Amino acid sequence: MSESIALEADGLGKRYGANWALRDCTLELPAGSVTALVGPNGAGKTTLLQLACGLSSPTAGTVRVLGLSPQEDAHALLPRVGFVAQEHPLHRSFTIRETLKLGRKLNPGWDDAYARERIERLGLPLGKRIAKLSGGQQAQVALTLALAKRPELLLLDEPVASLDPVARREFLNTIMEAVSEDGVTVVLSSHIIADLQRVCDQLVILSGGRAELVGSIDDILASHRLLTGARGDAEEVARVHAVIRESHTGRQTSLLVRANGHVYDSRWELHEIDLEEIVLAYLGYGRSAEPAPVPIEEAASR
Amino acid sequence: MTWVAWRQQRTETLITVGILALLAALLLPTGLDMASTYHRNGLAACLGPSASLSCRQAIDDFGARFDSLNSLIAWFTLVPGLIGILLAAPFVLQLEHGTYRLDWTQSITRRRWISGKLGLAIVVGLAASLLFTLLTTWWRTPLVHLEGRMDASVFDSEGTVVFAYTLFGLGLALAAGAVWRRAVPALIVGFTGYFAGRVFVDTWLRQRFIAPVRATWSASGPSPANYRHAWVISEYRSDKVGHPIAPLGACTGSTGAKRIIDPSCIMEKGTGYMHAVYEPASRFWALQGIETAVFGSVALALILFAAVWTNRRAA
Repeated sequence: MSESIALEADGLGKRYGANWALRDCTLELPAGSVTALVGPNGAGKTTLLQLACGLSSPTAGTVRVLGLSPQEDAHALLPRVGFVAQEHPLHRSFTIRETLKLGRKLNPGWDDAYARERIERLGLPLGKRIAKLSGGQQAQVALTLALAKRPELLLLDEPVASLDPVARREFLNTIMEAVSEDGVTVVLSSHIIADLQRVCDQLVILSGGRAELVGSIDDILASHRLLTGARGDAEEVARVHAVIRESHTGRQTSLLVRANGHVYDSRWELHEIDLEEIVLAYLGYGRSAEPAPVPIEEAASR
Repeated sequence: MTWVAWRQQRTETLITVGILALLAALLLPTGLDMASTYHRNGLAACLGPSASLSCRQAIDDFGARFDSLNSLIAWFTLVPGLIGILLAAPFVLQLEHGTYRLDWTQSITRRRWISGKLGLAIVVGLAASLLFTLLTTWWRTPLVHLEGRMDASVFDSEGTVVFAYTLFGLGLALAAGAVWRRAVPALIVGFTGYFAGRVFVDTWLRQRFIAPVRATWSASGPSPANYRHAWVISEYRSDKVGHPIAPLGACTGSTGAKRIIDPSCIMEKGTGYMHAVYEPASRFWALQGIETAVFGSVALALILFAAVWTNRRAA
């Protein structure tokens, strides 16, 4: 496998008891990309991230991160991957100084100057206890801990879910800085789509434990169209393009399609649609029986 | 990892130090008092098998003064296990709060994290046990001279068993906590299991480690030499043909304030046999060794189980 793939999953599955939290997940995320993992609660986002950082082991299939197995090559891989878990748990009784010391003691590649500089820029006193910090400040400290080990890949599980809009913006700015300055590859899960579009260039839609759509956001936006026309048969369209959602109102039919090339049919009116609507269409669509995800590149290359 | 483990266990270590300090605050003054009473009353001269009447009086006085304190302090035998259970808390709390995920996604492996944390808990537990044993053993020295150290109230807080008790408490709470991932239930399971295990060994198992000595001797004659300071498991008196009879106390009546012993009753009943089942004092270290091995190996198995379970189980 090539070095330019940061995260690669092949038929990846994880079962807890009788339930598959993640099933048959196949995807490749290029190095240097910023990937958004979206989907409703229980879609498998956390499971995928925990498999990628080695916190859990797959039931089926394989996952490789930076060319290594997170489970078998933990020793070699851990210094290269930063992870911020959901609710960004930190040791609440620690001070910020002690939290940074933990980072220094447990990470060979720890960049103490960077960590201190970031904490200073956030205006947080080193002697303050984690328990006394606001949610946004805790998230920033957790992110600092993950970034100061100088990872090549940063995995963030719902990093902004509990943050207010200002803290959310600051947090995402920090991530963008790290991406532009250090070329860090980022995978973050969220269900707030508006934020993601500003930060991410890749999108993975998970639903019911399966990856419904994997691809670059530009390609996804370029290839998805809303077709409206007189109420009628959509079969002809479906023969060429993938119909994601079909709805009928009165005399009108509207189709959300992943276009296979241009849509030339003059009976349909073409509309561009935004990412949120595409995501929602896929999540509604995820309940019907569509098997493996189709790589978007195929649909988008015209 | 050492610093991290230490920082995460700091509170519990300080509580342990606090418990030992409280213990020392109680034991040091009373122990000094007891030792000086022992010397002042010349009890060292009374240790022979045939003590004079004044010696018996002195020993009785000494017992009257310190026995209640001694039986109170026998309860401290629960302390090593409590310390062990307490030291399991940092590990279990991290599983409960999910902060192990933070540690596991730094650059050290899970295995190293587990061994670092459990290793420190074990080291602190053993150090606390050592201080506990030294303190109680020093405190009891005069009483041990007089009464020996085979009785459970003494045996349980001396020698090597204390270390095994501590690890047993630690292992129970760790194993329960690794499976349950909740600190409070783990501590409850730890304490209940510890108490039950100790009672079981004290009252049933210990006397089966080595087959006890069974001896019979004439009630009017001297007891066997190894009966002195022995741990008496059972003892009864019989008449000449071996029928059990009431102990000598049956011959004691009272008229007013004076206790009297009926001589004819003694004449009738006193000339029989004493039967006893006991572990001689010479077996102290053998019994200590076996009990240490029993609790120690159970503790080790529990700690290993907690480590393996935590390492294997998915996040």
